[in-house]
Amino acid sequence: MTPLPPTRPSVAVASLYQTYLVTRHTGRAVRLTIERMVEERPGPSLTVLDFSDVAVIDFSCADEVVARLLHDALSVPDAAAPHYFLLDGIEEEHMDPVARALDRRGLAMAARTSARRPVLLGRAEPEARRVWDALAECGRARPSELAGCLGGDAAACRAWLARLDERRLVRDAGEAFESLFVILGADERGAQP
Amino acid sequence: MSRVVEVPEEMDHRGFEELLIELDRAFDDEPARVLLNARHVRWISPYGLIGLLAVGRVIRDRIGHPPAIEAPENRDVRSYAEFMGFWQAAAGIFDVPPADPRVYGPHDALLEITSIRSHRDVHAVVERVRERAAAILEKKLHYPKPSVIQFSVMLSEVCQNIIEHSDADGWVCAQTYDYKRRLGREVLMLAVMDVGVGFHGSLAAEHARRYGESWSPATALEAALLHGESRFRDPGRGQGLQAIRRQVVKWDGELAIRSGNAQIAIVPEWDDLPPLQRDLPPFPGAQILIVMPAREEGGAR
Repeated sequence: MTPLPPTRPSVAVASLYQTYLVTRHTGRAVRLTIERMVEERPGPSLTVLDFSDVAVIDFSCADEVVARLLHDALSVPDAAAPHYFLLDGIEEEHMDPVARALDRRGLAMAARTSARRPVLLGRAEPEARRVWDALAECGRARPSELAGCLGGDAAACRAWLARLDERRLVRDAGEAFESLFVILGADERGAQP
Repeated sequence: MSRVVEVPEEMDHRGFEELLIELDRAFDDEPARVLLNARHVRWISPYGLIGLLAVGRVIRDRIGHPPAIEAPENRDVRSYAEFMGFWQAAAGIFDVPPADPRVYGPHDALLEITSIRSHRDVHAVVERVRERAAAILEKKLHYPKPSVIQFSVMLSEVCQNIIEHSDADGWVCAQTYDYKRRLGREVLMLAVMDVGVGFHGSLAAEHARRYGESWSPATALEAALLHGESRFRDPGRGQGLQAIRRQVVKWDGELAIRSGNAQIAIVPEWDDLPPLQRDLPPFPGAQILIVMPAREEGGAR
């Protein structure tokens, strides 16, 4: 009997409710709202933090909204129902506070700029970044295929992808791995009339 | 016994230190009444303005009632103090009649004296300065467009420092100046102060033991500004000041943080402030000065 492929995560978009994401107090309130939203959805999930209305985010708020959210989700790992996060519509000016907040906790998060460019924010080894970038570009690939594109070793590539999945930066979809943007893209296409 | 404390003619961050020496002497006599004589002030900066409020608060707490203050005679200083909202902020701190509510009109102040008591005040400040900051930073100081957001972030972090670490209220104030004598260019000065527990008090429980006998207001400032230490064990804390330091260096600006009897500063080439001072007159809380110089025309950084 062949194992069933992992259940596809449900996608939900979290508005950040504020134009000015400043102060730790505000960040904490926003994070708790997002955490409730995640808890209410059974099974694997992808939560998209929508930055399109955010004008300013400071370092304290970035730590509460982004870094602590991911930190807390990773600290109670649930292999059957993993929770993935993705930042969407992020501007160049928001990246420094978010990236540094993630870096301080040794974390990273996938993001898509307002120009729809994928970017990995936070801390990751150069090789992990290369693998992540390559998967973000092709969307979905087997480790051997990705290793071929990168001119590397398939076993090493599989190990990097598995590690990226543990960090909730890509998704292990059974035979292949997929970028979080693929899950989002499928959901966006599905939502079109 | 009554004591008169003279306010220096030039009431900026240097004048503030002179005033604290005077204040120290005055307190030696355990006066029952204090008059702060600001009649001869000829120039006052945002740091000087809220410095007077901080000194007034400390005197009030020490003698048990608000001290008196003699207003500056100089017309320019007088009108500047008025439109920056000094007298409204001074009510309750000094023995002065309540001032009329401020009427916000068109002027070039980036941020009038504003009390910081909660996160709501930080939100209000960041939202209020956005348009003015854009006008001043881009048009007057020739900063690139993203600097408005970076300035908002810096303003938010520096104000939060009051709420998160001082356990007391504080004030913020910002204004542009033609800083001819020192720099030959315009600058934006941002001052933030509180008279709370200070860095030494805030960090003591978490860090004092590790530093042993060398623990002092100066080492507390070094720990916070240079090493990103915070009073919390959480690794996500302590980023704010680090971010401010990086941004100020990027803008070739100056950052000075005074707390207790010490001051630490990130000093650009155009100024001669000592990077670390110990044995200053003791004063509660934290006093922060940020100076951002205009970019030289065509000098992209």
